[in-house]
Amino acid sequence: MKMRFVSILVIVALLMPVGMAFSAETIKIGALYTMTGRGGQYGKDSEVAIKIALDEVNAKGLPGGKKLECIITDDKNPQYAVSVAKRYITEDKAKFLFGIISSAIGLAVTEVSKEYKVIFVGSDHAATDLTANKFQKYYFRSSNNTFQSMMAGAYYLAEMKGWKKIAYIGPDYAYGRDQWMEVKWGLDKLGIKYEVVGEYWPKLYEPDYTSYITAIMKQAPDVLIVGFWGGDTVSFIKQAKPYGLFQKMKYFHPDAGGNYEAMASLVDDMPEGLILSARHHLNWPDTAANKTYIQKFYKAAGRYPSYAAEGAYVGIHMIAEAIRKVGNADDTEALVKAMEGMKIQCPEDPAGFTSWIDPATHQIVQVQAIGTTVKNSQFPPAKYMLGNWKVYPADKLWPNMEYVEYLKKVKK
Amino acid sequence: MDFTTLIAQFISGLSVAMLIFLVASGLTLIFGVVNVFNFAHGSFYLLGSYFAYQAMGMFHNFWIGMAAGVIGAGIVGMLMEFFFLRRIYGRTEEGPFQILMTYSFILILDDAVKYIWGSEYKTIPKPDALMGSFSLGSVMVPSYNVFIIIVGLAIVLFAWYFLTKTDTGKKVRASSLDREMLGLLGTNVPVIMTVVFGVATAMGGLAGAMAAPLRTVTPGAGVEVIIDSLIVVVIGGFGNFWGALLGALIIGQVLSFGILWWAELATVASFVVMIIVLIVKPQGLLSKRGVGR
Repeated sequence: MKMRFVSILVIVALLMPVGMAFSAETIKIGALYTMTGRGGQYGKDSEVAIKIALDEVNAKGLPGGKKLECIITDDKNPQYAVSVAKRYITEDKAKFLFGIISSAIGLAVTEVSKEYKVIFVGSDHAATDLTANKFQKYYFRSSNNTFQSMMAGAYYLAEMKGWKKIAYIGPDYAYGRDQWMEVKWGLDKLGIKYEVVGEYWPKLYEPDYTSYITAIMKQAPDVLIVGFWGGDTVSFIKQAKPYGLFQKMKYFHPDAGGNYEAMASLVDDMPEGLILSARHHLNWPDTAANKTYIQKFYKAAGRYPSYAAEGAYVGIHMIAEAIRKVGNADDTEALVKAMEGMKIQCPEDPAGFTSWIDPATHQIVQVQAIGTTVKNSQFPPAKYMLGNWKVYPADKLWPNMEYVEYLKKVKK
Repeated sequence: MDFTTLIAQFISGLSVAMLIFLVASGLTLIFGVVNVFNFAHGSFYLLGSYFAYQAMGMFHNFWIGMAAGVIGAGIVGMLMEFFFLRRIYGRTEEGPFQILMTYSFILILDDAVKYIWGSEYKTIPKPDALMGSFSLGSVMVPSYNVFIIIVGLAIVLFAWYFLTKTDTGKKVRASSLDREMLGLLGTNVPVIMTVVFGVATAMGGLAGAMAAPLRTVTPGAGVEVIIDSLIVVVIGGFGNFWGALLGALIIGQVLSFGILWWAELATVASFVVMIIVLIVKPQGLLSKRGVGR
């Protein structure tokens, strides 16, 4: 009898590490980011932010003592990203798909998420389609879409006096085209009268804007609305400055013009008084949460984060919060329910506001702040940052089911 | 349409044309003399901009940066010709090998740039002397754009003098017509080919270094410029230096006035011109191959 008891004890002792290992099993997130080329910086910054968020989440703990783990792969192009997403699900047993800079890749991967019924948290790509006409219930987005930026832009223009003529320049693909459609829709909805004097569609990564600049100056709009991102913003501003474009018209760039890396690249070349915004700002809101996030990033990377990092940081916390609510990462339908309407405190939330997930579209609902460039060397190497903020409440921007219905009609 | 608008748009087109010409002329020179279609030519534009960035970071002087861009791209070009391309000349598979080898250099050089300088874009400031603008009637013209036009025209004049008035230039032209005969007459043809490759890639480097203060220094930039250069070379005639100049001037103005009058479709205008030339005169506007003819 005694011998039998000892045997049982030995067996239990032998099995214990297996049990412990099982309880400490990781929950895998399969992330895709552009890690090289033009958008590579956004991918690298997102990677740093993911690491910070994972450390926070795992330190706080998840049900069953499980840990969150994130695998990151360079997404390259939509076809490749789709194959990696499928591999994540079938071979790596990832419970979540995550990330993605390019909207084209986001639109491809959302189909994988739908087919395999796996939650996909988009952290950066901004195409409104994904949370509107291309909505599927397993897709969630942890950063704002272009409609939220452009609708805030429409409110800004509505408050601005002394303009009538507008022109637009943006890259000739969905991201550039959508922003123009959205700001016009917003202006129309607000009953603003305006005259379009020009639309310009250079290709993405156009190296030389000289001829566009002289053509725009000939049209002499009061406001030039701009839809570039990344290095294209920098090239355009550098090339337009000696023509005196910024003295002749208001430069208005509400989705990505205020990205920190553009200010860090332009340094002294950044003109004063440009009206810009971005999906996250280093100097707004002036809250402890934003400062702590930026300090943690700086400590980890030795540089300040681009806007893309915050979406990744928030996305990881969204997933962790959903797992905590449900108690496991296996019940996808329960996780979807847990995320719908979830309140999530983001670094970019001003005091007294908490971002939340719209249950109808799965889009994060956030406050938008638009500012103008002013001298500020607080975040070197940038010598200009945004100031003179105007803040637009989240509920004025999203959900906007009227626009969702409009998109469904025009993008059938 | 007022006259000053036309002038402003013309000057814009000329500045665009000169940067395209500097890349396209090198591409066509290599094709004409060395008989290599250098897919990687845009990568020397890329290298020129990065060498300029590096040198400017070290010496804080734009002109040293520009010299570094030109010399650095030229040296890498000569090394590429001497150690790699030379090994495939005259082989029966030379054509496919050229494509594979030069294409692989696009990938290698682009990745090398990312490895050394990182994937984020960089910027270079303009020299103080060329920061401002001057007015031409009611039109503002940036000094830096005028500088690009002047350098482009200076290269054209120098090339004209070199190719038509000097013995070495005549040998370069002769090598594009009959390499074997030139060799039999005692000229060291391999050296000419290496030097021509170096000069042509240095011109790409010059374009990259000069464009850097206006644009961003970023991986992938070479691929963007090579497309416009290819269009220019097709329009002017493969291997024809003056054809590259004519093609660049045409494309610069087509782009510039296309944007003014036909903004929605301006980006396809250069392709339309290329297709028309291919239909009407498939060998390009300035006759058959032949440098400086």
